[in-house]
Amino acid sequence: MLGAAATWTLPIFLEKTFFALDAMAAEALTQSATGKDGTILVVLQLAGGNDGLNTVVPFGDDAYYRARPRLGLAADKLLKIDNHIALNGKLSGLKSLYDDGHLAVVQGVGYPNPNRSHFRSTEIWQTASDAERNENHGWLGRYFDNQCAGCDPTVGVAIGDEMPQAFAAKNPTGVTFSRPEQFRYRSSSREEDFFRQLNEPGEDDARSTIAPDGASIGNLAGASNGGASTLDFLQRTALDAQLSSDKILEIARKYKSTVAYPTTQLGASLNIIARMIAGGLTTRVYYASQGGFDTHAGQIGAHERLLGDFNDAITAFVVDLKQQGNFERVLLMTFSEFGRRVQENANGGTDHGTAAPMFVLGGKVKAGLLGKYPSLTDLDRGDLKFNTDFRSVYGTVLDQWLKAPSQSVLGRKFAALPLLQM
Amino acid sequence: MNMLPPLPTSKWNEATAAHLLNRAAFGGTPEEIEATRRKGLALAVRDLVDVRSETAELPPPKWAHPRNIAAIRMEAREAKANPDAENKKRELRMMEGEEIVDLRRWWLERMMNGPAPLLEKMTLFWHGHFATSAQKVRDMYWMWLQNDTLRRHALGNFATLTKKISRDPAMMIYLDLQQNRPVHPNENWARELMELFTVGIGNYTEDDIRESARAFTGYRLDLTNQQFRFVPRQHDPTNKTFMGHTGPLDGDNIIDILVSKPACAQFIGRKLWRYFVEDEPSNAIVDLVAKTIRAHGFEMRPVLHEIFSSAEFYSERAMRAQIKSPVQYIVQTCKQLDAPLPSPIVAQNAMRQMGQLLFAPPNVKGWDGGKTWITTSTLLFRYNFANYLINGDAILPPGAGGKTAGPGFQRPLQRGANQIRRDPIDVAKLVPAELRDRPDELVDLLSARLFQTRAGDKERATFVQYLEARKPDTSDATMRGLVHLMMSTPQFQLA
Repeated sequence: MLGAAATWTLPIFLEKTFFALDAMAAEALTQSATGKDGTILVVLQLAGGNDGLNTVVPFGDDAYYRARPRLGLAADKLLKIDNHIALNGKLSGLKSLYDDGHLAVVQGVGYPNPNRSHFRSTEIWQTASDAERNENHGWLGRYFDNQCAGCDPTVGVAIGDEMPQAFAAKNPTGVTFSRPEQFRYRSSSREEDFFRQLNEPGEDDARSTIAPDGASIGNLAGASNGGASTLDFLQRTALDAQLSSDKILEIARKYKSTVAYPTTQLGASLNIIARMIAGGLTTRVYYASQGGFDTHAGQIGAHERLLGDFNDAITAFVVDLKQQGNFERVLLMTFSEFGRRVQENANGGTDHGTAAPMFVLGGKVKAGLLGKYPSLTDLDRGDLKFNTDFRSVYGTVLDQWLKAPSQSVLGRKFAALPLLQM
Repeated sequence: MNMLPPLPTSKWNEATAAHLLNRAAFGGTPEEIEATRRKGLALAVRDLVDVRSETAELPPPKWAHPRNIAAIRMEAREAKANPDAENKKRELRMMEGEEIVDLRRWWLERMMNGPAPLLEKMTLFWHGHFATSAQKVRDMYWMWLQNDTLRRHALGNFATLTKKISRDPAMMIYLDLQQNRPVHPNENWARELMELFTVGIGNYTEDDIRESARAFTGYRLDLTNQQFRFVPRQHDPTNKTFMGHTGPLDGDNIIDILVSKPACAQFIGRKLWRYFVEDEPSNAIVDLVAKTIRAHGFEMRPVLHEIFSSAEFYSERAMRAQIKSPVQYIVQTCKQLDAPLPSPIVAQNAMRQMGQLLFAPPNVKGWDGGKTWITTSTLLFRYNFANYLINGDAILPPGAGGKTAGPGFQRPLQRGANQIRRDPIDVAKLVPAELRDRPDELVDLLSARLFQTRAGDKERATFVQYLEARKPDTSDATMRGLVHLMMSTPQFQLA
């Protein structure tokens, strides 16, 4: 479906190792985790704990204004969804998406026994674990492990300096970079050709390390020759690194967006993602984040600015995807480690809370308010009680969008939500 | 006496000596490997394992002393109405950031230049085992204090260490132990004590967790001096039934019971073997190591002595087959290049981008290690970081902050981090002048330094080709290019 998809001039033998498994997987019942025409998930983290109450505002509830004498947003500045709920005035682009039928707002999302530590709660969202359990692999990492053993290393792309914990896996795959130009081997040009020689598979991939004199010293049977398999693994990864680097750089060179993105970090991140999609990178999962949501003091200006940046970047991204003809293939989902306390604090800010809304948007998303807005008076230690488990959203996205069995990723089945047009 | 068959002395040579330094220390230069070889196996192992306890007494970072944080917090609360409160907070954050950057520097320097590399390596092992993150603890004195406790007991008794850790403020905060109340037990510590620290999953029941959580009540922190404090009236003194024992058990009783379980020696034995020897040990080996641990009553010194003297440790499948951890990569590379550590901010960014940031393990399970160190991104980063370590002028990817990155990554600290230059390596220290135009010999010499063995045939041919193509240029830049090429290989990732 992508007429503009880039073509690759890879030697045949590389092409094969790279894509053969992909083709095999395509014949399986479940969908493979890579593929140029597959659906795409973009996960957007709002780091720091986004204030859900001032994002999706329950302006119809007096309790909101009672709890927030200074931070409560005046009804006439809001973008109303119904007589009770409105979007923050900065979210004009999201409101249009809602009106056009492409934005779902899942209300009151959280999990049982909420943790109010940034670190721990982020970990819970990234690993999709119960609050009482520690899980070291991420939910997307488990998806990669389940769906794409041996497939294209660009199965997941995270924009940033550090692989998000959501990507942590038994066999970590996926690519992490802030700018495509970083994801390449840097050296003087006189080394470059030799570097390529070194990091391509040879005719005989014999183990290049040699044993110390006197062959086998140990005498207990080992599982396998650890060295050879580790070196094989490294050689494969080195080749993958080179190929995906070439591919990503080529796309970055070829595809420039005609849409003007805001000059924010999130704008830049979504711009890169849009270019990768336009270029036909076979990635199914992208990850980006926006920071700064930990608004303990002086929230009013800061939060509006954050939501404005968020709105503008998303708006540009959607326009871009529509121009490319890829809007139908992409689903973007936001999350934050927690919402904030209902009652504002003495510093004109809010403290760590619990449940908050998630946005899910895309060409195939069914618009609407899902779940129930949590009560502002029936609270748990001053915090909202969640009514939709975030893993219901993950599960629905896995089952219905990525076509991957959610149970094997999340450990159990969570109630599905009507997020998608069927 | 030895459970593990020892290495015949006839097998002690340059390769085995290099292997010992790679694993039981942070590698060595060719001169250090030769000196180790000359000592002989027995003495070489003894020098590493039997370090004098005074070596743990190196001075702490100058800011690492207890504070009255109860008073500091009170002051902050009173200042809340004050418009300066935010500035104060920002200042505190910056201080936290500077301290953690310094703490990371302090530890890397001990690994690099300290008198007891195995002690540091074992401290790192326990840091990954009793994983605790500054991101949650948020007090760098407490992070240092834990590191100090781990080091003091790193080569000592495992049960003693575990008891110390149950009273360690950083751990208590990390696993909510100080929130454990008789009426509202918090089971986080109790669960991980069993699942991750002693016997492993499948060797305890949910009842064991509930009962033992009650035994660990009364563990508190004294915020006026940042020390552990036991509060008897908050301790649940009633009977608990834990793994078949019934009585008014306390926390130390629980740890003693756990350590007496065969599963504990197996669990620690497997983990030790994976850390020092190979990713996938056979059950037969794990059984032997577990027996060794029990025979020595969980004293680490004699256990390590046996491991490093054993034939299995030097087996063909173990040698040159371990992927260097990011910390090992940084320290060992700087040693091999005869170059100083990179600046603290650069080192910190590099650790983070390679996936092993000291004092910030990803979660309570610590680092998985092995193949999980390597992804296409981290491998490319290693290749590019090598370029930086060698040539010093390449601009590294930023490793910029953002709140999620945790303490040490505040923007002001990070400013200009990607422009921190470094002196290129001194080629003369690595390459004798007379070998510069003798490609074959030069490549073999550098292979011994960088790989502790010959390069693979294909790689060796490529290195030689590079030098031939550069002829007659044998400048420092060409030599550094060669070193970079040699480090930009899968083989260099192994130790």
